[in-house]
Formats: sequence, C-alpha cells, structure tokens
Amino acid sequence: MNRLTCTLRLLAGGVFLVAGALKVLDPARFAADIDHFRLLPYFAVAPLALYLPWLEIICGLAMFVSALRRSALVLLLALTVVFIAAITSAWMRGLDIRCGCFGAASTAPLAYDLVFDVILSGVLFWLWRAEGRA
Amino acid sequence: MVCDKTNPSCAATCRQAVLLLALALLPAVFTAWLHPKRPAWNWTRPTVTELPLADAERLTPPVIWLDARPDEEYAAQHVPGALSLNEDRWEELLPKFMAVWQPGTRVVVYCNSQECDASRAVAVRLRHDLRIDNVFVLQGGWAAWLEEHKP
Repeated sequence: MNRLTCTLRLLAGGVFLVAGALKVLDPARFAADIDHFRLLPYFAVAPLALYLPWLEIICGLAMFVSALRRSALVLLLALTVVFIAAITSAWMRGLDIRCGCFGAASTAPLAYDLVFDVILSGVLFWLWRAEGRA
Repeated sequence: MVCDKTNPSCAATCRQAVLLLALALLPAVFTAWLHPKRPAWNWTRPTVTELPLADAERLTPPVIWLDARPDEEYAAQHVPGALSLNEDRWEELLPKFMAVWQPGTRVVVYCNSQECDASRAVAVRLRHDLRIDNVFVLQGGWAAWLEEHKP
C-alpha cells in the first residue's frame, strides 16, 4: 500500500478522533460554541452538540476499517465542508468567537481553523479518490 | 450522492454511511442522559440584559466590572479595577471574583466588541450556575469603553 496514503489516513482519522474526544469531554461548552455562530435555532444546539462529536469519533474509527472507509470519508468530507461554510460565514460577519473545533483546546483565531479545514478537506478528497482507485 | 443499480459500490457506500450516522446516535443518547457536563435542554436562548456604557457607569455601587477576554488581552489593558473572568480559566479565576462579590453587587461583563460572545457566556454562567442576579453585559464591550475614554 502507498505509504503516503497510509500516513494521510492515519492523520485524518486521528484528527477527527481527537477533535471528537475533546468535545465529548464538555458537551455544554461545545453547545455554547455552536450557539456563538448564530446560525442555528437554540433548540437545535444541544442535540447537535451531543451528536456531532460522536459522529466524528465513529467516522474517525471507521477510517481504519477498510470495509467502512469509503463511507466514512464521504461523511467526514461533508462535515468538513459544512465546518468551512460555518467558519467562513462567522468570519464574514466579523464575529469575534472561537471555532470550538477542538473543544477547550480551540483558542486560535477563526482564520487558522479555516485554513486547517480547507487543507483537511483536500486531504479527505484525495483519500476518497485514492480509495476509489483501490 | 446519486446511486443506481449499475453502481453497486455506491449503494453500499450509502448504506454504510447511514449505518455510521445511526451508530453515532447511541453514544450521543447516553451522553445526553449521563454526562455530568451535558448541555441544558432549554428551548429558548437565555437572555441577558445589555447596558450601554453610559448606563453601566451610572449603576449604583457596589459594581464589579468583569473582563471576559483572554488572559493576554486583560494583561495588556483593561477597564481600571476590572477583574478577569473568562471561560478558559473559569475554575481558577472564579474564586477571585467570589472573594469580592456580595449579595446586591451589580456586575458588568465585557468582551472585545459587540461581535463577541464571551461576555454573554460569562454572564449566563454567573446567572445560571451561581444564581447571581444583577449581571449585565456591556454593549459594545471594550471597544466602546476605549472609544469613550480615549486619551
């Protein structure tokens, strides 16, 4: 197997595992972070804060199961595109908030998270294409 | 993703994606049920009273000003006499606030500008977790204070 593909898969899966786990530690804080984006009605914030971290963890784990990898990549790519859209919209509205992408560890300005997510989506897309050829 | 019968692998990917989406539901339900830090199931956003700077400065003493911005910004400059209380170091900073707070004290929380949510978050937490009334958020935040008190 291509060593680069393997490394990127490990990194991408690891990122979502860590990001999900950090958010699972404090779902109330993540709910506040989601609310600060001012994109969702308040009743949708708590369910999303409970569900999203686990979706990241499950998909992060599924990246290491060959039978589930393709579907995990599709879901994670879709999630990352949604994150990019949300961060871009907050950034354009001039909101002074933190991303919350890595739970309490999120302290960087939004622009950094945006760049990170764009790179991550590129990696996921590349892995998805590589998976299709396999 | 559009799947048809000529592309069985696509249909399988869709099925597995649904399976993964469903799998994540299970631990999420347990988190909602058992997690000590689960979010509150409020159907309406908690409200906090915002005060324009002029009104905040006219509040009847005792008044405590709280800076909800990150540590380094507080260290650089802050409203004279303001205490630091942000969510990043909540547990460490809260005792300093509690040491000076007394029942009846008015609290004004600010963050950078109108477009920040840290002051709102701190104010909501003081109200809900500590049941402190008379907590206000400064409209326009630090930017408004700086504009008014330009050297």
